[in-house]
Amino acid sequence: MSADSAAAPLTLPNQGSGRRNMLERVVAAATFLLIVAFAATIDGFATTGNLGIILINSASLTVLSCGMAVVIISRGLDLSLIAQMVAGATIFGMLISGGVAAPLALLAAYLSMVAIGALNAWLIAYVEIPSMLATLASSMFIVGLFRFAVLRGEYLLLLPKSDPTVAFFAGRLLPFLPVPVALMLGTLMATWFLLNRTVAGRIIYAMGDNFQAARLSGLSVRVTAIVVYVFAAFTAITAGLIMASASGAVDFRTVTNGTLLFEVILVVVLGGIPLRGGRGGLRNIIVGVALIAVLRNGMTLMNVTTQTQDMLKGLILLAAIITDNYLNPRDAETDTAGDL
Amino acid sequence: MTYRMGHRLVSAAAGLVFAVSMLAGTGTAHAQDESPMAGKKVIFVPISMGISLTEGWARRMREHAEIGGYSFEVRDAAFNTGIMSELLAKAISDKPDVLVVHNPTVQLLARQIKQAEADGIKVLQINLQSNQPSTAFVGASWERIGREIAEDIVKECGAGSGKSGKVAIIPGQLTAADSVMMNEAAFKVFEQHKEIEVVSNQASDWEPEKARQITSTVLQQHPDLCAVFGHWDVHTMGAGNAVKDAGKSDDVLVYSTGGGDDVACKAVEEKIQHRIWSYDADGQGRDAGTLIDLMLQGASIEDGSMMIAQSPLKIIKSGEGFDPSLCWKM
Repeated sequence: MSADSAAAPLTLPNQGSGRRNMLERVVAAATFLLIVAFAATIDGFATTGNLGIILINSASLTVLSCGMAVVIISRGLDLSLIAQMVAGATIFGMLISGGVAAPLALLAAYLSMVAIGALNAWLIAYVEIPSMLATLASSMFIVGLFRFAVLRGEYLLLLPKSDPTVAFFAGRLLPFLPVPVALMLGTLMATWFLLNRTVAGRIIYAMGDNFQAARLSGLSVRVTAIVVYVFAAFTAITAGLIMASASGAVDFRTVTNGTLLFEVILVVVLGGIPLRGGRGGLRNIIVGVALIAVLRNGMTLMNVTTQTQDMLKGLILLAAIITDNYLNPRDAETDTAGDL
Repeated sequence: MTYRMGHRLVSAAAGLVFAVSMLAGTGTAHAQDESPMAGKKVIFVPISMGISLTEGWARRMREHAEIGGYSFEVRDAAFNTGIMSELLAKAISDKPDVLVVHNPTVQLLARQIKQAEADGIKVLQINLQSNQPSTAFVGASWERIGREIAEDIVKECGAGSGKSGKVAIIPGQLTAADSVMMNEAAFKVFEQHKEIEVVSNQASDWEPEKARQITSTVLQQHPDLCAVFGHWDVHTMGAGNAVKDAGKSDDVLVYSTGGGDDVACKAVEEKIQHRIWSYDADGQGRDAGTLIDLMLQGASIEDGSMMIAQSPLKIIKSGEGFDPSLCWKM
């Protein structure tokens, strides 16, 4: 083997990495251009007040995207994320409506969702059911159980805005820091810490890169799967508390008919985290959320109908996937990695 | 004495036979009263159960079915319009005597309603009307609700009020029967009052969280907003909470419309919503039950036009005139 041919494969990952970041750069540039265009054309877009609204309105989406990103990086998918979000908020809402102390209600809501996250992980890592099927089944199970056994057929649970805990989650931690934004920043930091500063984080990337290699080399992939899906459950219940407290309602139609799950996957993919996993981080989540949040805010200010907004988001997802395929074509590595 | 006793026994026996025959006669008459409806079949296909509106209707219709001796079945579409079409197709193939349909849009079930009527099934449309007429309709006049709320908004936000005249409308879906009719009626009123400016008209898909996000964004752009007109009190909860969280409960009037259960009164009492035009779902359920009874007994209009039972409206207002007795409890 000549020196040249031995050196050639070593240079490929670097080139690949450059190409892989292209989508993130394209989306970041598109977001920047959109901000400039909206600021120039829409009254009231480029104000600090509107920035606050963008941050508050995207808080729950960002928190959910952190959970989904970690799952996808480990080459998984959690379709039960929104069901967990609504179910957790339901437990909290029903307990405080029933007069249970807020800390106890919060603890019960978090513990229940942790149990569901652990169950998802057990199905995926130990029973070895594909993540998409396992979480789809658990999503259906959660919705059915909560609607018929807990809410007794009801779709909606209204939260009393007069309750101090509900008011806290919809209020401000500091005069300039609303609680939803504080929770969003906390979750972003936790995600960064998990992915970059823990052993589990390194294993998550290894699992996403090549699951069999990670497993055969002795990494604790099963325990890490539990960490991944429990972390996702934590983000789901946190997002549920933010959303339910702000709108004063827990609404199961968010799971059955809503587009939120689609938006969460959209954020992760647009940010440049490939669905086959192994790559991506905090910056990708922020880039993806920024585009969706700015687009949603601008279109609402322009009085674009909700259906048109959904259509445009679908087109953007399609454009992103096509761009990704063009910039990051399948090679020997990605072909063997497999897709969802 | 013996004779007397025997005479009394004979009299008592005769009296007993008479009483029994009378009772039997009454029984026959009672059975005859039931006969036009007994054993008949009614199927109700709502957009979804699990909301006070449809649960309230079903409760009253079921009461009528029990009294009338006919069967009453609910086929729950659970907010899924695809499933709703399938359920309706199945219901038509089951050949009920009356079909009660709750239309999600003006178009979606039109063809099936036409087919059911052609097959001899009488269709009662409840609260949300399709483009396709049928034997009967029971429900609110959306034109009237839209017009009355718009007129109230003009009074509160229009000329001479000292307010901006800016209004945000939050329909459920732009193609939903009630949203289409309320918007048409409201815009007709607003067009005559140029000082009223509709700054936003975006559907929430009936979801409180979407309504909240739209309202908070619009409030930021138009801090002098005068009124929000949500097309359903349930999703308007989100809009009302956005107004309350922005500290503008006393400046922005939140209007909506709904079935008027106790949750609506609580929202008005807490000033999350200020004025709700209630069509009283409990009363509508009873009206629907009565119409079903009449349809099962053969009632229809000779020229084939639709029988209409328009629901009376109750206006639930916050402030001094607040009256919790206007709401009903499940």
